[in-house]
Amino acid sequence: MAQTETNQPKFVHPIEETFARILDFYHIRWDYEPRTFDLEWDSAGAVTVAFTPDFYLPDEELYVELTTLRPKLMRQKNAKLRRMGELYPDIKIKIFKRQDLRDMMIKYVMDEEAARLLGTEAQEPLPADSVNANNANANSGNAQQA
Amino acid sequence: MKAYPLAEYGQLAAGVREVLISSEEIDARVAELGRAISADYAGRTPLLAGVLKGVFIFMADLLRAITIPVEVDFIDIASYTPEARDRGFVQFVKDLDINAAGRHLIFVEDVVDTGLTLNYLLRNMRARNPASLEVCALFDKRTRRIADVPIRYVGFALADEFVVGYGLDFHQRYRNLPFLAKLRPEQYRPDPSAESA
Repeated sequence: MAQTETNQPKFVHPIEETFARILDFYHIRWDYEPRTFDLEWDSAGAVTVAFTPDFYLPDEELYVELTTLRPKLMRQKNAKLRRMGELYPDIKIKIFKRQDLRDMMIKYVMDEEAARLLGTEAQEPLPADSVNANNANANSGNAQQA
Repeated sequence: MKAYPLAEYGQLAAGVREVLISSEEIDARVAELGRAISADYAGRTPLLAGVLKGVFIFMADLLRAITIPVEVDFIDIASYTPEARDRGFVQFVKDLDINAAGRHLIFVEDVVDTGLTLNYLLRNMRARNPASLEVCALFDKRTRRIADVPIRYVGFALADEFVVGYGLDFHQRYRNLPFLAKLRPEQYRPDPSAESA
């Protein structure tokens, strides 16, 4: 079943929507932010740091994280990814960084998207009122293989 | 074996940052792949199927490096253009002319990165009931892989970088470089004079 407008999740960044459309095009099933991994806790046991990969591809058993941050701004995310590897070594996760995404956009002849990844400090998120992070889990399971 | 100095490619050379794999290295590796396929398929007549356009140079050289009877065919799929995106599915511009049913099919790719296209095409090929189905890719960007596709014959493992030459293009250019090269960053900027995006 192809993805439809009505079951489209609220993506945090435009690049995520672009990526989801590419997956749909090639009939790759995906979930958007279906799971949050706890990474650090305070002394009372409350979670202080967590990480929610952008996509999960069930057929590949693979999580995918997209980031448009410039390398110099990646320190915090890299720390989370290292911690992910320590705490959840069996979880497969693939990171697509700024240059990877730019190359992907070039490959798929998406010049405007590629140019945005070349020319900005970090891609602007969608306006806050269009983002409903709390709906992320409710939107999982929205793209099915045709 | 003819050497192809970068300097001979004047205007194209200006856009090249560095040569990653020389034509001599490619020739040698393609010859090895041809020998391996010839040995593995001895006594059979495999059907080599390539995806246009990027594969055409590799296919031509690989074919001549194979010393057993072999047949060749091509498919062409529409690029991920705005029209294709609107259509919402992969369109075959040209399908195989040869029936793949019962054949020992070797799917030949110039480069595999995310594996999304190849994964889609392999599912399509399996549905045609070939006797066997293997993949031969000259360049493998394994670290980019999203869809896990089995590749039996790999020429070179590549790092995470956009490359051109030996059939691989950027905006349809650079395919004629006989070596694999990395472009200067400024080449990636959109070309306002390009006829199509």
